[in-house]
Amino acid sequence: MVFSSIEFLLYFLPIFILVYMIVPQKFKNAVLVLGSMVFYAYGDLRGLGLLVVSTAVNYVFARMIRGRIGLVAALAVNIGMLILFKYYQGGAVLPLGISFYTFQIVSYLVDVYRGEYTAERNFLDFAAYVMMFPKLVMGPITGYGELRRQLHRRRCDAECMQDGLKLFILGLCGKVLLADRLALLWHEVQVTGYESISTPLAWIAAVAYSLQLYFDFAGYSVMAMGLGRMLGFKLPENFRQPYMASSMREFYRRWHMSLGNWFCKYVYIPLGGSRRGEFRTIFNLLVVWLLTSLWHGITGNFLIWGMGICLLIILERQVGRLWKFITGDRRGNKVRGPASLVCHAYLLAVVPVTWVCFAVTDLGQLEIYLSRMFGLGSPVAMYVGDWQKALNDYGLLLGAGIVASTPLARWIYQKLERKWPGMILLAAGFWFCIHRILLQGDNPFLYLNF
Amino acid sequence: MTLRWLKRWSFMIILAITGIVYCGANRDLLEVTHWENLIPVGERKPEEDWMLLREGSSPESMPEELTLGKAVSGERRTGETDQALTELPEAEDQEPFGPPLLDSEQQTPVTSGEGDGEGAMPEPEPEPEIVMGRVEEDYFADALFLGDSRTVGLGQYGSLRDIATFYASTGMTIYKIINAEIVEVPDQQEKITVEEALQHQSFGKIYIMMGINEVGSGTTESFTKAYGEVIARLQELQPDAIIYIEGILKVTKARSDKGDYINNEAIGVRNEALSQLADGEKIFYLDVNQAVCDEDGGLVKDYTSDGVHLKAKYITLWEEYLKDNAVLIDGGPEEAEEQLPSE
Repeated sequence: MVFSSIEFLLYFLPIFILVYMIVPQKFKNAVLVLGSMVFYAYGDLRGLGLLVVSTAVNYVFARMIRGRIGLVAALAVNIGMLILFKYYQGGAVLPLGISFYTFQIVSYLVDVYRGEYTAERNFLDFAAYVMMFPKLVMGPITGYGELRRQLHRRRCDAECMQDGLKLFILGLCGKVLLADRLALLWHEVQVTGYESISTPLAWIAAVAYSLQLYFDFAGYSVMAMGLGRMLGFKLPENFRQPYMASSMREFYRRWHMSLGNWFCKYVYIPLGGSRRGEFRTIFNLLVVWLLTSLWHGITGNFLIWGMGICLLIILERQVGRLWKFITGDRRGNKVRGPASLVCHAYLLAVVPVTWVCFAVTDLGQLEIYLSRMFGLGSPVAMYVGDWQKALNDYGLLLGAGIVASTPLARWIYQKLERKWPGMILLAAGFWFCIHRILLQGDNPFLYLNF
Repeated sequence: MTLRWLKRWSFMIILAITGIVYCGANRDLLEVTHWENLIPVGERKPEEDWMLLREGSSPESMPEELTLGKAVSGERRTGETDQALTELPEAEDQEPFGPPLLDSEQQTPVTSGEGDGEGAMPEPEPEPEIVMGRVEEDYFADALFLGDSRTVGLGQYGSLRDIATFYASTGMTIYKIINAEIVEVPDQQEKITVEEALQHQSFGKIYIMMGINEVGSGTTESFTKAYGEVIARLQELQPDAIIYIEGILKVTKARSDKGDYINNEAIGVRNEALSQLADGEKIFYLDVNQAVCDEDGGLVKDYTSDGVHLKAKYITLWEEYLKDNAVLIDGGPEEAEEQLPSE
């Protein structure tokens, strides 16, 4: 069940929330686990068994882990399962959300081993942590430490409920009103065939895809945060206006932050981070980005995507070092003044290209798309005015998307969220989304397969 | 007390009120939300069908809606086409074209536009003076194409874009076409219906391809009946026009095997029924699938990205098929033109 579906919005959520509100505190986690299982089963009945077994086994693992060998064995089981299902499944469907919940379990096992907290004694509380439906399928990848106290005791009242719901609606609007509609442009370009699009259209479609991916995933993350808040949890922020970044490094500190933090905490830092000299840092970055690429998928395009980004990050580091050396500026990494405009422009030009590498899984097709973007080769059966038509059809939507990716949207939301006009707008937004979903049918989130 | 409670739950109350307003305004739409209509995810219509599955949705809401071609009084440009568009794709891609092209050559071994029709294969019900043969682009100067998203693609990426007229729109069905407001009129915001447009402008040929959107609804009989009624109405409006029923383009085998109602068996059944509507005099059936299908009986995989629509690059196969299979009366397209004055 995806959040932006009628089943979820009009049936599951209201019924679940009602039951959840009514039952006393000590049964809330049980209701949450049960509800999450229903939620999961609706999307992937076969995967439910794996999820339950995985939860149970890791509950035991965490309580048993003593030495390093125990940890390595437990991690091997979990990561082995992930690799098995992700890469050797022979065309079968990937169990829903396995990449996300496996990473959470791994973080839990490592943290317990490191002694950051003791293993959870109450199975139900642990199951609620792994399975809670707001973050089960697509994150945010949340450490157990962040939720531990809330799992045992949390505030859940009218205020939380409504604030959470408002946040949820905000995310829903991003997903349904922006992402799903921008997706049509990308789809049109696919239907036409990349060899037949003009260079301006190749760029417009790449920008549309960049915005679509953002509102799809960020919208989902905001919905997850909102749902978490409705239930009394504080889930971490996953996106912080990434397109406002001025470097690739910064972009990935603002994009899918929970994954970035995970790799930082469990791979980059243990490898030595940036404290062991420049060469070691570059090596560490390569390892992190190689793993990030593999996490997203094993087709070659993800490797190109990840390695491209890694290369840019490494180059940015070198330029930064050079800059510091020349100017003697020791104030830090942040570029200020007019030079920052150049940095922003660089990022905004580069990011759509990386997203194209991310989106087009067939390498031959990717080559065609990139050559269209840079005006190489000659198009076949091109319709010269295609980009004007695209702007005509999607200009408004693209404009709305661009505005909504700036801090302005967040600022307006925070200003109006508790005022009458804002609340009426949000409520109307909810029903408008319902209306759109009924018209278009729901399409699953782009990230669901990762 | 009550007031405090109201204030506490103010957002929920607003949500409920707006919900009631919405339900009041959209009662029929909400019927979709009844339990029995909720299909588990596995059986749900796949997202890529967004272009097709628009039954019940209002065309205005679709950003991709297109109306192509020149509208009612638009001027025609003939003969001038982008050379690149008419050529077949590069050599490496020609190999897979082999079988379909050969097929149509066997059927219509007419050399070129000046072809005299010798050896052209007659229709199943041969009328002595009517043969099918090769024509050139100017034949389409007074041709009208009616159709759904696939014809939109033909009108946008084909070499006939600036020659023929296209009244096509994504999600179009045979049930809607006559009264669909999809025809652009120069210097006018409002679009007019196909029927109105046909009262003002006349065409020598009308090509129709519709049916993929309808496969999931009605029966073959009801669909064919509606199709026949549309043809009858077109003939009333355009008594001189030749009507070409283009068989519904099939989908790829992979798409067909997905297990929903869009499948090649259903399309085949409907095409068979459509072919019966041809009378060999004014109404002809064209099996366009010959030009784009493989031995599995589905659309060639490489010709499409979504399994349903031809990529722009391969639209030319469709066009070539239409050029190779035009009605020639007494053997020559010029004479055909004379016998069927267009405007």
